[in-house]
Amino acid sequence: MRARTILGSSLLAAGLAATIFAGCENKHEAKQDTQATGSLGASASIVELMKARGLSEADVEGALKTYVPSGKMDEYYIFASGGQSGNVDVIGVPSMRLLKVIGVFTPESWQGWGFGGDSDKVLEGGNQGTHKIRWADMHHPNLSETKGDYDGKFLFVNDKANARVAVVDLADFSTKQIVPNPLAASDHGGAFVTPDTDYVIETSQYPAPLGRDYAPLSQYKEKYRGVAIFWKFDRSKGRIDPAKSWAMELPPYTQDLADAGKVDSDGWAFINSFNTEMAIGGTLDGKPPIESGASQNDMDFLHVINWKKAEELVNAGKTKTIAGMRVLMMDVSGPEGVLSLVGEPKSPHGCDVTPDGKSVIVGGKLDTHTTIYDFAKMKTLIGEKKFEGKDPYGIPIMAFKEAISGQVEIGLGPLHTVFGDHGDAYTSVFIESVVAKWSYKDFKKPVEKLKVQYNIGHILAAEGDTVSPDGKYVVAMNKMSMDRFLPVGPLYPQNFQLIDITGDKMRKLSDMPLGNAEPHYSQMIKADKIKPVKVYKPGTNAITMEQDPLRAEGGKERIVRNGTKVEVFMTAIRSHFTPDQIEVDEGDDVTIHVTSLESAEDQTHGFTIDMYNINVSLEAGKNENISFKADMPGTYPMYCTEFCSALHLEMAGYFLVKPKRK
Amino acid sequence: MTDAAKTRRAGGHVHLAIVEAEPAAVASAGKPAWDWARGPVLGAGAASVGLFVASFFAPWWKFSLYAPQYPKGLTLVISLTGMGGDVQEIDLLNHYIGMKHLAGAAPVERHLAGYGVALIAVLTVVLLAVAGKKLNKLVALPAIGFPVGFLADSFYWLYTFGHQLDPKAPLRIGAFTPEMFGNGQIGQFETFASPSAGFWLAIAGVGFALLATFLRSRVCAHCAHAGTCAAVCPRLMVLPERKPS
Repeated sequence: MRARTILGSSLLAAGLAATIFAGCENKHEAKQDTQATGSLGASASIVELMKARGLSEADVEGALKTYVPSGKMDEYYIFASGGQSGNVDVIGVPSMRLLKVIGVFTPESWQGWGFGGDSDKVLEGGNQGTHKIRWADMHHPNLSETKGDYDGKFLFVNDKANARVAVVDLADFSTKQIVPNPLAASDHGGAFVTPDTDYVIETSQYPAPLGRDYAPLSQYKEKYRGVAIFWKFDRSKGRIDPAKSWAMELPPYTQDLADAGKVDSDGWAFINSFNTEMAIGGTLDGKPPIESGASQNDMDFLHVINWKKAEELVNAGKTKTIAGMRVLMMDVSGPEGVLSLVGEPKSPHGCDVTPDGKSVIVGGKLDTHTTIYDFAKMKTLIGEKKFEGKDPYGIPIMAFKEAISGQVEIGLGPLHTVFGDHGDAYTSVFIESVVAKWSYKDFKKPVEKLKVQYNIGHILAAEGDTVSPDGKYVVAMNKMSMDRFLPVGPLYPQNFQLIDITGDKMRKLSDMPLGNAEPHYSQMIKADKIKPVKVYKPGTNAITMEQDPLRAEGGKERIVRNGTKVEVFMTAIRSHFTPDQIEVDEGDDVTIHVTSLESAEDQTHGFTIDMYNINVSLEAGKNENISFKADMPGTYPMYCTEFCSALHLEMAGYFLVKPKRK
Repeated sequence: MTDAAKTRRAGGHVHLAIVEAEPAAVASAGKPAWDWARGPVLGAGAASVGLFVASFFAPWWKFSLYAPQYPKGLTLVISLTGMGGDVQEIDLLNHYIGMKHLAGAAPVERHLAGYGVALIAVLTVVLLAVAGKKLNKLVALPAIGFPVGFLADSFYWLYTFGHQLDPKAPLRIGAFTPEMFGNGQIGQFETFASPSAGFWLAIAGVGFALLATFLRSRVCAHCAHAGTCAAVCPRLMVLPERKPS
């Protein structure tokens, strides 16, 4: 009997316990659910809103197609060249919200990019000659590709002004390397990647003697040259390997845009050019400026390069080393059929390979057509050595008519072309300020035009220069905004206009002002291809992406003095630095290794020493190594520069520099 | 289906079967016999021990903390040997109110937990195997003590941590005991605490231990040895039964 009672009561107790816990629900989660439920059926108020704000139905459609509510994510990333800002703008699509500015060529103080930490070494690596170069004219970002499709791992950008290429790792959206071009004085046709990112192509713009030696302009034709660099990318290291890279000498025409072949044309590269007249200006002496001198010929030259074959010649040692780089000279590349030319109508611009790799499309700034070059035809002509002549440098020239499959009348000033998913091409038409939609598969299809505001330069499409474009969005990158935004003085924002290309007709959805510089090319990649880290592993050096051997660890913070060298191992965690008092002597060489001990998402500290031009960003887990000479005696607060916690203002200390005895 | 469940389903038949089996066992006097009544008892006992051991490897308690800047919440998961989840972040937040590092909680208990589980398992097995009518009541005792001890010890540590706050902490709040059951509030944090799999496995283990006790009491009630077995039950001993003299 007693046993039964025990059992009965224990079962009762267990049941009771279960009831208590079941009834005891997580109120926080319950509350979240109720918040998620909104009320529907607001169509009447929407009409009122439209009236009040003067919105048309098209406006509302645009809004509904682009609005991304709080907590929801965009569908695509745009990586936009930041133009003269030297940095990369990252933008979400369709919301067209700025997500981040990545410090690349130019110091960016929020990220502490170039303010005393490890990033200084990356920037130093990008110096040309004896000058510290801290600005760039960034033109063409290119995402790394695998089999001709974006893989979301790396981004390459060029600096036209100083002929440099940078590598941005998308694992943490930060720059890892800046490679100075030792041969060219400026670049434009870059950075363009081959379909598996074996090479990053960078082509010069304004000719100069290779290696930038002095040569008078009277020797322009003899000594000045163009050059295409094939930077070898080592994917496992995430770095360009200059030692394995090589170059091709080009005639002193002004090489412009470039693109790498893909699918059918894999192994080839195409570069357009203008100023085949080789005009050098001389306005003060009453000679015509370059703009006029360079616009005399009816035809300029598209350069057709068989880079796979060029690579073989390079490996066979048929190169000349200039400024430390192996260069395949024209006297080899021309006769070997590695470099050929074909005419392109007046002052061309844009050089875009179609997704199937069968054609190259070139626009003409002063011509109303886009010209569609047929790769198969060109390959045959080159293979059979059927040329109509040679240029003054011995480079064979194919007959224009035999190399193209057609021309399409587009409008005034066609520039760049990007692609949709069913043979549709979108060309930016500068002078006319329109986007022209046409078919590169059916030239007879009528051209549809959409006005954009104003003076469109580059154009981009969702995965639009891969082997499989998405056919969803196009963005017109307009040089002028005029009446589109609130006035901000005489320097106007640029205007990115998002265009929906899913329907029969193109539809403009929204405008985005860019108030930080003039972007050139940009690329748009599906968001799910990018998987950045959220926090760094403890003690990570963000340049090497490995644990820094000199990182500081909790409990092992210290100040080590060795003669006039002072080394500080400092940690940062909410809401203090350890150590928070540092005293050195005037003239000491100070190195501070400061490591964030945080591991939580979005928990960032900053570290500055006032007046010493030092500021680093300490994302969770990151280590920064700061070296400087304590050459200003005095009292300098050091503090956390990123609002980290309720006691952020208290996250501070002192850096004291004791004056030398006199 | 476990033996115990089978037995539960059979209900009163267990009782009857034992009664009927009795004369047969007596008839085969002198010959060591396996009494089938051991089956359900030992089965329930084995299930109980198995569940304890399983609970050792599972999380016992879960604390969730929510604040506006932690939309996904922070979690602290307690097991018998340690803790997991966002320990570092919770420690970091706790330092503002002067709470000690979580690693300092229940060090001895966590260290000895493995031996404790083993001891309870052994005790349960031994009691199941040898306890007679008098000791039968004790069979489930170690099992019951297991989760009860955990609750008491956890509460002790929660109390201690909430009452030994560093008076020099940047943020001074009154002593408190973090809520161990259900919803609570600490500063801007909404907390929610509830048992996890390990605790429920242990509770199930207790259930099976009680079931074993109950089945044994049935055996005792109808056993021919009733009253003579004292502390050791020959019928339920795993060793072969000897004929009573």
